[in-house]
Amino acid sequence: MSAFIELRQVRKQYSRAGETLVVLDGLDLAIPQADFLALMGPSGSGKTTILNVVGALDQPDAGSVHVDGTDLTQLPSKRLPTWRAENVGFIFQSFNLMPVLTAYENVLLPLSLTPLSGKERRKQAEFALEVVGLQDRMDHRPNQLSGGQEQRVAIARAIATDPAVIIADEPTGDLDRETATQVMDLLVRLNEEMGKTILMVTHDPVVAERCRRTLHLDKGVLVEATEGSGA
Amino acid sequence: MSVPFLQVRRQLRAHWFRNLLTVGAVSLAVLLFAFLVSLIRTLDAQVEDSSGERVVVQSAVSLFVDLPLDYQTKIESVPGVMELTKWQWFGAYHKDPNSGFFPQFAVDPDRMLRMYEADIEIEEGPPGASGDLRAAVARAMAEEKRAALVGVKTMEKFGWKVGDTVQLICTIFPHPSGGAWDFNIVGSYSKKKDNVDDQTMFFRFDYLEDTFSGGDAAEAVGTGTYFVQTAPGASAAVIDGIDALFANGPQRTRTFTEAAFQQGFVSMLGNLPLFLGTIGGAVLFAVFFSVVNAMLIAGRQRIRETGILKALGFSDGSIGLSLLLESLLLTSVGGLLGVAVVLGASQALKQGLAGFFPNFEVGPGTLLQGFAIAVLMGLVAGIAPMLHLMRLRPTAALRNEG
Ligand SMILES: Nc1ncnc2c1ncn2[C@@H]1O[C@H](COP(=O)(O)OP(=O)(O)OP(=O)(O)O)[C@@H](O)[C@H]1O
Ligand SMILES: [Mg+2]
Repeated sequence: MSAFIELRQVRKQYSRAGETLVVLDGLDLAIPQADFLALMGPSGSGKTTILNVVGALDQPDAGSVHVDGTDLTQLPSKRLPTWRAENVGFIFQSFNLMPVLTAYENVLLPLSLTPLSGKERRKQAEFALEVVGLQDRMDHRPNQLSGGQEQRVAIARAIATDPAVIIADEPTGDLDRETATQVMDLLVRLNEEMGKTILMVTHDPVVAERCRRTLHLDKGVLVEATEGSGA
Repeated sequence: MSVPFLQVRRQLRAHWFRNLLTVGAVSLAVLLFAFLVSLIRTLDAQVEDSSGERVVVQSAVSLFVDLPLDYQTKIESVPGVMELTKWQWFGAYHKDPNSGFFPQFAVDPDRMLRMYEADIEIEEGPPGASGDLRAAVARAMAEEKRAALVGVKTMEKFGWKVGDTVQLICTIFPHPSGGAWDFNIVGSYSKKKDNVDDQTMFFRFDYLEDTFSGGDAAEAVGTGTYFVQTAPGASAAVIDGIDALFANGPQRTRTFTEAAFQQGFVSMLGNLPLFLGTIGGAVLFAVFFSVVNAMLIAGRQRIRETGILKALGFSDGSIGLSLLLESLLLTSVGGLLGVAVVLGASQALKQGLAGFFPNFEVGPGTLLQGFAIAVLMGLVAGIAPMLHLMRLRPTAALRNEG
C-alpha cells in the first residue's frame, strides 16, 4: 500500500569537476491524493531536484518514485514524455510561456499531445483560460501581459489537459504581494474544487501558509513538518 | 509523433528577416549553379562533338585580326588538307541590336556544305526543290550572290520563310549604302551535333568582299578564320604544316583542332568557365555555411523553448524533427525560388547568350540537381542543431537563461 505520490530512499547526486555532490540521500516522502504541499528550505537544498524527480523530468540515482501507482524509475526513458503529458502540469517561477504564441495558443500546446479532437481541444483551452479569468486576454502575446497574467496563463496551460498532479516551482517568486495572493487563490481553488494534488516550492512563509502542509528541507533531509492553516 | 507545427510556424515568422536572407541566399546559389552548370555543359557538348579531322586557322595575334585571302590557296597546298573554307564573323542584327542579334558567318558555301555534311541537315531547300536538298541549296547559293542558309531556330524566331528577302544591319561591315544588307533565304538547316547550332546564318563570302571593297574601303577584306578539313588522322601534321608555312609572315597563324578552337573561343573571353566555376563554387560554399550558421543560431535561440516543450511532454524526436523540417523548408523554398527564377529568365538568358553560346540551354536535370543541392543543404545544416536539441536534458534546458 502506497500513497498517491511516494518517494522511497531516493538518492540524487551530481558529479562536477571530479567532486560528487549528494543532493538527496535516501529521501522518503509520501503525499496523499488532493494534498497541497509546500516545500521550503534554503537555496541549494534540493527542492527543485525533488520536483524534477516527481515530475519525471529527471531520474533519481537510486530509490523509487511512485506516482498514482506507476513506478517512474521502472519506466523506460522513452516513455517519460508521454507520462508527463498525461499526469503532470508544470508551473515555473519565470512563467516559461512560448513568447511567439498567444495566451490561447500556449494553452493549446499541451492539448496537441492528447487524442482529443480539434474542437474538444479548443473547448478545453477556453475553459482553462476561463478558470484563471483570462478569457478576454486569449489573443495577447506573453509580452503584452503583466507578470501575474502570464503566470495565470501558465496555470491554465498546466491544467488544460486535466492532469492529477500540479508541480509548481516558486510560482509567486517573481510576483508582488497582491498578484502572488491572486495566484495562490487560484492554486487553492484548483486543489479544493478540482482535487488537484499540488506540490509547490516557495521561499515565502505567507504563501506557504495557504497550503495544507509545509515541509522543510535541509541538506537533503526533511527536517521538520508543520501543519498549515489549510486556507 | 506530435510536432509543434504552430510553434515552428510562429518561430519562422518571428525571425522572418534572418529566414528571408537564408531563402534568398539559397535561391541565389541554385540560380548560380543552374546557370554555370548549363554553361559548362553547353561548352562541353560543343567540344565533345567537334570533329577531330577539322582544324581552324586564325591569326597568331588574336581572333580579331583577319588573315589575308591569298592564304586560302597556300593552305590548300599543305599535305593532308582536303578542303577549306573562309569563315568570317559578320555580327549583324535584324531590326533590334539586342533581341535581333544572332550569329552569321561569311563562308564559301559549296565547300562549307561538303565539310559539314555530317554536322547539319538541310531542312528545306529553295522553292520548288526536291530530291537532294543539299545539292539544291549549294546550286542556289552559287547562282544567287545574296543567298543565305539559315538555322531553323532563327527562321522560327523571326518568322522567316525560305524565299524571303531579309535585312540585316551590320556595324562591323557597314553597308556602303548606309543602310541594311539584303539576303535571300534559299534554305534552312538543323543541327545534327552539338558543335554547331540551329541559329547561324551562312552566306557567300564574296558578297561581303565585293560589296564592301566596291565602296571606299581602304583595306581589303580578310577572313577571321579558315576552317580546314584534313585527311583522316592528318590533323596534327596539318596544324604543324600550316603554322610552319606562315612562320615568317606576313601574318603568323595559330592553328587548332576544332575542339581546341571551341575551348579557345571561350578562353578568348578569359577562361570563363574556370573563372565562373571558381567564383560559383566559393559562393555555393559561402551560402552553405550561412545556412549552417543560421540553423545553429536557430537551435541555440531555442534551448529554453525546447526545455518547455520537453516538460510539456513533447518527445525528443518530434522536437528534433521540427528543427530539421524548418531547415528543409527554408532551403526548399529557396531552391524552388531559384528554379522559378531560372525558368522565368531562361528565355532572356538564352537570347542574351545566343550570339556566343547558341546552344545554351538549362535542362530539367540541371534544375533538379540545383533543387537537390538546396534540399541537401537544409538536411546537412539541420542535423547538428537537431541532435543538440534532441539530446538536451529538460532540466538543463529549463535552467538556460533566455
Ligand atoms: N545539473 C546539475 N549539475 C550539477 N549540480 C546540480 C545540477 N542541478 C542541481 N545541482 C546542484 O544541486 C543542488 C540542489 O539544487 P536544486 O536546484 O534542487 O536546489 P533548490 O533547493 O531548488 O535551490 P533554489 O532555492 O536556489 O532553487 C544545488 O547545489 C545545485 O547546485
Ligand atoms: Mg530551485
